[in-house]
Amino acid sequence: MICSTNNPAQRRFFYRFAVAMLLYMLLLVPAVWVFVRFRPTGVLAYALAVLPALAIIGMLVVIGLYLSEEKDEFIRNMQIQSLLGGMGGTLSLVSVWGLLENFTHVRRLDLFLVYPIFWGFVGISTVIVWLRYK
Amino acid sequence: MKNRLRVLRAEREWSQADLAERLEVSRQSVNAIETGKYDPSLPLAFKLARVFETTIEAIFSDEN
Repeated sequence: MICSTNNPAQRRFFYRFAVAMLLYMLLLVPAVWVFVRFRPTGVLAYALAVLPALAIIGMLVVIGLYLSEEKDEFIRNMQIQSLLGGMGGTLSLVSVWGLLENFTHVRRLDLFLVYPIFWGFVGISTVIVWLRYK
Repeated sequence: MKNRLRVLRAEREWSQADLAERLEVSRQSVNAIETGKYDPSLPLAFKLARVFETTIEAIFSDEN
């Protein structure tokens, strides 16, 4: 994402995103610890597994809030292009990988990696968009 | 879309940052509009016209 500290919407975005990231860590670390130490099963196991994902969903909500609050239409346009690039790249990669998994012997892709892969593509896309309007 | 932003700015001795402040957008936005890399929305075009006390047609033309 392209950022400027003078932009109030971006300041709010970074603050909210940092809170969601912190929440993710605070939920993930104990969840892993409980799984390793107590090997929970049933409803508790499902609840513990889903808990850190709620923070990730929170991050996506934070992005949505930012896009609705960003008043600078050009910056908003650039951010949307970066995010679309990230989505396109991720969907392309996982589609190709999924077919490779079905037809060849490539390693199975863990689904929790899709989210960081998305941000990797957003990063690449942001550079391309920035260069386009430089 | 062609525009006369650079000329209008120069007449008033405004920098891109000055215009950006008046429009409440980033300097990058002004630069992108001025260099023709980004066409503003109708509300922003009206705002530009108000800031320069002129009409949208006097700022933008659809010639390539």
